[in-house]
Amino acid sequence: MFNYRVIALIKRELQEKLLSKAFVLMTLLLPVFMIGIVGVQTFIMSFESEGSKIELITYSDTLASKLQKVILEESFVKNGSLITTIKTVSENDFEKYLAENENILLGSQLDGIIFIPKSALKDKKIKYYSKTPKNFRLLEKIDRPINKVLVEEYFSSKKIPIEELEYARKSVDITSFKISEDEDVKEEGYGGLILSYLFSFLLYLSLIMMGSMVMQAVIQEKSNRIVEVLLSSVTSKELMTGKILGAAITGVLQMTIWLIPVILVASTTWFMLPPEAMIDVTFLQIAYLLFNFFLGLLIFVGLFTMIGSIFENPQDAQSGMWPILMLVMIPFFISMSMIENPDNPIANIASMAPFSAIIVMPAKMALVDVPIWKVILSTLVNIATVFAIFPIAGKIFRVGIMMSGRKPKWSEVVKWLKYKY
Amino acid sequence: MIALEVKNLSKSFGELKAVDNVSFTVPEGSIFGLLGRNGAGKTTTIRMMMNIIMPDSGEINFKGINAGPEFNSKVGYLPEERGLYKKMKVLDTLKFFAEIKGKKGKQITKLAKEYLERFDLSDRMNSKIEDLSKGNQQKVQFISTLLHNPEVLILDELFSGLDPINTNLMKNIILELKAKGKIILFSTHVMEFAERMCDHIAIIDNGKIKLNGSISEIKADRSKLNVGLNYEGDISFLHHHPIIENISDYGNNVGIRVKSEDDIQKLLKLLVDNKIVVKKFDANEISLQEIFIDLVGKEDAEVNHV
Repeated sequence: MFNYRVIALIKRELQEKLLSKAFVLMTLLLPVFMIGIVGVQTFIMSFESEGSKIELITYSDTLASKLQKVILEESFVKNGSLITTIKTVSENDFEKYLAENENILLGSQLDGIIFIPKSALKDKKIKYYSKTPKNFRLLEKIDRPINKVLVEEYFSSKKIPIEELEYARKSVDITSFKISEDEDVKEEGYGGLILSYLFSFLLYLSLIMMGSMVMQAVIQEKSNRIVEVLLSSVTSKELMTGKILGAAITGVLQMTIWLIPVILVASTTWFMLPPEAMIDVTFLQIAYLLFNFFLGLLIFVGLFTMIGSIFENPQDAQSGMWPILMLVMIPFFISMSMIENPDNPIANIASMAPFSAIIVMPAKMALVDVPIWKVILSTLVNIATVFAIFPIAGKIFRVGIMMSGRKPKWSEVVKWLKYKY
Repeated sequence: MIALEVKNLSKSFGELKAVDNVSFTVPEGSIFGLLGRNGAGKTTTIRMMMNIIMPDSGEINFKGINAGPEFNSKVGYLPEERGLYKKMKVLDTLKFFAEIKGKKGKQITKLAKEYLERFDLSDRMNSKIEDLSKGNQQKVQFISTLLHNPEVLILDELFSGLDPINTNLMKNIILELKAKGKIILFSTHVMEFAERMCDHIAIIDNGKIKLNGSISEIKADRSKLNVGLNYEGDISFLHHHPIIENISDYGNNVGIRVKSEDDIQKLLKLLVDNKIVVKKFDANEISLQEIFIDLVGKEDAEVNHV
């Protein structure tokens, strides 16, 4: 299958793709874009909570002064993202107070009023009045100090030493350890999670991007009749192989470039990351990822090439594309679901099933220690999928690429499989 | 000596018999014309020869090689519907098409440059195909069929859409190649070209070969009752005259077919008697166009006069 013709075709594909502006831009801009999105999001979030003003109203002066003390310790007071004023208003007068301040609340001088009634010492129920009461970020900030003060106030009469209180107040701090077949038990941070996200996303993006790129190219070759000249020199199988391998090599190269930051983070100390975000990845894993991606490209670019050969213009091809898109998207969502529970049974099946294994297995590996035999088995499944798809795609390609005119029906496409080609 | 043989080739698309038991032979060093109307089966026959579509039955034989990659590597093929990679540069395009035929290196580059020079394209070597005019694109594609030094050239409707100067240039190159012993097979529905260039022809209609052989033999065979006439005057009286079988009017020239050999002398007398100024009276002459129309049916819009 690898003769001078296929090599010439691959060379041309690489020349065309690697030197194209789209490739260079996409390869360089995607990481910038991703960092940009995270940056913009952080920026917007920090911006939005700048300088909210609320009033904290308690029923008693003692509670107010305690609250004052606790609030002053909070970071939101220090960085000025939330300005609080603490007042005391008796329960009977609160209704009146609220009515008086209604205009201020409706205007933008004040974002909200929190009232802590006496009953809060029994049921911890407090009230928040605002034009936009569902501001969870704000309530999330204020809820801890209020709870702290209420708990202190509640137990102050119960003669419990302050240290015991401290203990009771503490929430459980879970440190995760990853048990693996290695000797040492490692403290596990969020690195794996980040990596899993990243891989799934990059895989998903690349498969769809490379796939539709090749599909467009096939449609173009078909519609402007280059294909007839090509087929007078190469067989349709060679043409298809050349196109798919050209795209797969381009894709792997692109992925390698994208993974360079990950490799550098994992293997050098050039980047200072917090220990929870440490990425634990070996070169063998990177090599596996790239090989897996290569198989993925063979499978999906193969399918996209087949679809491209059936249709003569991109609009018609849209309708043929969606089943293939589903084959990429569903596994992607399964991968995403694994972030909540890596042992999700659907994910377990998907990591071994044809098509989905390509996307789910690497994501799974970043999260849990998958036994090596499972990795090998899933790789074998992928290789088998490649071998199962090629003859089918090849037959459809061979017939489709020379068909012109009317858009074929699916039943006709199925018939092509039986053609003597 | 027969070099290329097409034997009993058939292909159906559903109900339609596109090519029906087509056979012909092409001797070495000759120019062969596959003639037929649009849709007669020329392109399908050629595509089967190039292994682009599979025949239902039949075979192609070139010096012992059947249709397939090996045969293809010896052929330069110019399809009727031309296509090139629009974003590729001219020289890169030529090198690529040579490379998929298994030829590369300095010599191919040199040859490509020589051809570009000949076609007055050497200043466009590094232009993208899409920046070239249609005629120039066609020239590039023609060059791309020659670079790998093919033994057989298959040219589907080569001259369609070319200006006279480029037509002449290509004609000269084809004649050069013929002198080098190559086989040139071209399909056309333009009889004038075929008449001037071909040594052998096959006329195909509705997928069937109607006539096959050397053009001089075919003509000799069919010209006994034919007269080529160049005249001044009004010859309308000849229509419906009992000795006349058929008149093909080409303006100043007419081809006249009489009913029996004796009628040729009667015709000459008739013309003189009717005061027609006879400038040329060529007995035993028939044009390919006449043969074609005679075989394929009534003259209609699809058969071009050039």
